[in-house]
Amino acid sequence: MAKLSKLAKIYLALVFAILYAPIFYLIFYSFNSGGTMSSFEGFTLEHYGAVFNDTRLLIILMNTVIIALLSSLFSTAIGVLGAIGIVFLRNRQTRNAVLSLNTILIVSPDVIIGASFLILFTMIGIKLGFASVLISHIAFSIPIVVIMVLPKLQEMSTSLIDAATDLGASKRDILTRVIIPYIKPGIFAGFFLALTYSLDDFAVTFFVTGNGFSTLSIEIYSMARAGITLTINALSALIFVVTLGLVLGYYFFTQRTGQSPGTRGAKL
Amino acid sequence: MKEITRAAIAILLISGILLYVVNVLEKSSTTSGGGTISVYNWGEYIDPELIDQFEKETNISVVYETFDSNESMMTKIEQGGTTYDVAMPSEYAIEKMKNNDLLHPIDHSLVPNLTNIDPYFLDLPFDPGNEYSIPYFWGTVGIAFNPTLLEGQTFESWDDLWNPSLEQEVILVDSAREIIGLGLNSLGYSLNSTNVDELREATDKLKTMGPNVKAIIGDEIVELMRREEAAVAVTWSGQAADMMWINEDIDYSVPKEGSNLWFDNMIIPKTAGNIEGAHAFINFMLDPEVAAQNADYVGYSTPNEKAVTLMDPEVTEDERFYPPVELRERLEVYENLGLEMLGTYNELFLEFKMDMDN
Repeated sequence: MAKLSKLAKIYLALVFAILYAPIFYLIFYSFNSGGTMSSFEGFTLEHYGAVFNDTRLLIILMNTVIIALLSSLFSTAIGVLGAIGIVFLRNRQTRNAVLSLNTILIVSPDVIIGASFLILFTMIGIKLGFASVLISHIAFSIPIVVIMVLPKLQEMSTSLIDAATDLGASKRDILTRVIIPYIKPGIFAGFFLALTYSLDDFAVTFFVTGNGFSTLSIEIYSMARAGITLTINALSALIFVVTLGLVLGYYFFTQRTGQSPGTRGAKL
Repeated sequence: MKEITRAAIAILLISGILLYVVNVLEKSSTTSGGGTISVYNWGEYIDPELIDQFEKETNISVVYETFDSNESMMTKIEQGGTTYDVAMPSEYAIEKMKNNDLLHPIDHSLVPNLTNIDPYFLDLPFDPGNEYSIPYFWGTVGIAFNPTLLEGQTFESWDDLWNPSLEQEVILVDSAREIIGLGLNSLGYSLNSTNVDELREATDKLKTMGPNVKAIIGDEIVELMRREEAAVAVTWSGQAADMMWINEDIDYSVPKEGSNLWFDNMIIPKTAGNIEGAHAFINFMLDPEVAAQNADYVGYSTPNEKAVTLMDPEVTEDERFYPPVELRERLEVYENLGLEMLGTYNELFLEFKMDMDN
């Protein structure tokens, strides 16, 4: 790739500054002893203390993380199998039809999906709470995983599978030793995308929470009615730092294993 | 493959540990024995310490959830799936829920603390005899303004909003009944007017305010006023109290022509599972000391007569938030005007907003 020109560099820096400015602004005021975001009065850690003293908020935070981890794990498993199934569909028309159905789920508005889930759950008598939120998060993450994994599968040459068959590999071996290692970058990308989708989903979760089970997006939304308190700033700062840590960790992980054939050209 | 299996096991382990921690935390924060009640309230509308106190006193553990609008609350209650035992809707929502048969009648013998409530706030048109609802907080609609930005102008009357010196200074809350209502009030009509000519006249008068209107928005008003980016806002007393808490320059006034008086009341939904616990909670919230502490924390006006005597007189003697009886007589509670009339209000409000764009 050619080197970026000076102008392009300035432009890039500007875009990143705009994207990150609100986050840094918010983090900056999380250390404000003044209690509002209007003027900075002095340095304090009391808002961080408030986060750790608020058991309810901590429970909600952990619920959010649990839901995100479990739902993206399950949806990745289901989505990967689904993508493999789609690629190996013989009939071109059926394949296109299934793919379109998958795309429809991605582009349909969250509100509609949320309302449909609410109606479904109340109709078949599932109590709203942990299970209903987990199920709906798994459901809306699957199409995303499929989309992330498909390109890797399509770029895989079929001769790889033929070669494996010629060498006497069973179907199981082909799946676990050929296909899955090859599409690993896609699997991880799908997992992380599902994770972020689940973490910040408001619309769907709003409809299917209940019985004292709540996630962060719902909680912050109702808190904001009375004005954003700096506790939310502190909490957001913590989440930002943890996310940053995870991304850096992932980056080093892919750098280290970047030599092995399976992850060459890994992209997120 | 190995890597993926390892990652999956790690994720399951982390989730398991977190689930365990959540369980421990939930157990430590709740007590067992007296059952559980679910409380559904507005965000930031209760002092969390009071929930702990209630749990300790009664051994009933509280599952606390929040909502952001009467409409979303009603949908959740109507749709089922979750059983809430106590909720805090506003007066018009209570009337609607009552008509839709969503409420459980309140057994007054289980809420002896009801005697602490100022009789002025009982037996109101939206719920005669307080059969289904018990007052929680109340307030008014009025004008919040920042005198330092206005060279000493005051707002005794709604007509002051039309003052030519206020060009591009006035923010209106984005709510049909409040704004059409201020137009009606400024002409001396009732807030609950169903007379189309009066409504038309009010809308036409509102349109002439055009040059003064800076924006028609919702909860962002508080932040704008705090930062002195706006000088005048038509809003609810609670929002005004929030602004004044931060920016001491801000003042609030309820115009002399009259205004709206609103209530948030505690109700028990028909689907409630723990009726006894719900009554215990309502009774607890009516305790004078509890109500006083809660009002201190939330900043809205309490209808609890005994609580008022326990609170800081500087707050309760503030006529802006605890208006004296003669002013209260000019305040009106919204009546449920029916779906069709509400549609007319919304249409006229939309017409007013569209006129602003020109």
